[in-house]
Amino acid sequence: MNKAIEVKICVGTLCSVMGGSDLQLLEEHLPQEWQEKVRIVGSTCLDVCKDREKYGNPPFASVDGTIVPGATIVSLMELIREKIERGENR
Amino acid sequence: MRSDVYHIDVESAQEAHRAYHCCGDVFLSQRKREEGRVVVVMSDGLGSGAIANVLATLTASMALNFTLKKQEVERTAQIIMDTLPADGEKQLSYATFIIVDVESDGETRIIEFDNPPVLLFRKGEPTPLLREVKEVQSRAGGQRKMSISHFFLNADDRLVLMSDGVTQSGMGRATMPFGYGLENVSRYVRNLLRRDTSISSYALSRAVILRARNNDLMQPQDDMTCGVIHFRTPRRLLVCTGPPFSDSRDGRMGEMVRDFEGRKIVCGGTTSQIVSRVLGVPLEVVLGGETDGLPATSRIPGIDLVTEGVVTLSRVVEILKGLRVGGEMRGVGPAWDIVRMLHSSDEIYFLVGTRVNIAHYDPTLPIELEARRTLIRRIIRLLESKFLKETHVEFI
Repeated sequence: MNKAIEVKICVGTLCSVMGGSDLQLLEEHLPQEWQEKVRIVGSTCLDVCKDREKYGNPPFASVDGTIVPGATIVSLMELIREKIERGENR
Repeated sequence: MRSDVYHIDVESAQEAHRAYHCCGDVFLSQRKREEGRVVVVMSDGLGSGAIANVLATLTASMALNFTLKKQEVERTAQIIMDTLPADGEKQLSYATFIIVDVESDGETRIIEFDNPPVLLFRKGEPTPLLREVKEVQSRAGGQRKMSISHFFLNADDRLVLMSDGVTQSGMGRATMPFGYGLENVSRYVRNLLRRDTSISSYALSRAVILRARNNDLMQPQDDMTCGVIHFRTPRRLLVCTGPPFSDSRDGRMGEMVRDFEGRKIVCGGTTSQIVSRVLGVPLEVVLGGETDGLPATSRIPGIDLVTEGVVTLSRVVEILKGLRVGGEMRGVGPAWDIVRMLHSSDEIYFLVGTRVNIAHYDPTLPIELEARRTLIRRIIRLLESKFLKETHVEFI
């Protein structure tokens, strides 16, 4: 059974002002062949922005539960590609 | 004395004469919260443009302030007539006025001077008002007539005030050589009320002005003003924003949201998580909607609107500051959705969590995030002073 790679985009205040609102356009950048392998959902504050030493800088996203600091569309696409190549969506 | 459970909703709409930027009609209203009273004044300055506006402003301001101070009606009229010039020969005032004074229990006094008469709609039907005509002597030697009405409004009664720019709209056209007329205005309003019994005062006043403007083929031949006063049960709204200072109060916040009777808005990611958890209902973030650059909204069953917190509330402040009373509200995005809900509510309750998010005060942030409490206080000030809303705030 295929399991989609879950990408959570934080839409909290801090991530939004630090460029996170751009991440909401991630779905538009996914190539056709990835559309069914990736599930993009929004999330209220992931609650990691208070601990920069541990988690890094906003904007945050998570890919299959792994926090991604300083997320950009490019960095998230790269992570998704690696997971698909490793077969982690199966 | 009847019990104080009603809200007095006041809205107005205006159009200036086609050749002037400045409207020569003035519409003022003020709510005396401690007395539960609302005083509404409309004045039509002779002519159009800035000079007419000055005359009307002078008249309306005096009428409003004297009425608020419970000055005797005849005395108020006399002072105004003595202050303003009048054409003694034509017996024409340089400004007309209507004063409507509504108490919290519906006791109402209307004073009309040289204006189209106020219309009362009861159960959606035009209802005649009993008027007493009084003569007022002015220092200039002229004797002028004014009408006074004194009665009680019932729940859901509406008063419609208008300047003669509305009743005389369309004058000279083949279909209405003498203008639209009071009867047609009354019939038009009655039809609107039949179509939508819950039409807002804002929509009703705008509809009358648009109709009058259409009569003049979109080129208003005179200044036009329509004011609507609606005596009704209050529309309540709760705005819940910010997590409580202590986690132990999360349950209390959730209960207050659950038990509130009226519409509900939750602003803030952490706040919405708390409400979702305590109420035991799912929270779903909605990506891809029209947000006008603001963070995405969410959905919680039983909550009318769920938005992000301080960035959205900052935008609400900016919108309220720039919004003209009676102005259009067609903007898109969560901030405009909040503004529309605030505007269409009478009693607005703010439940504000006081936990501070230190991350919001990071100096490296590209924009300065105002403190939530400050934003709410600014919103409250604007709602009370500009839009005559009744507000309550509780910090938790």
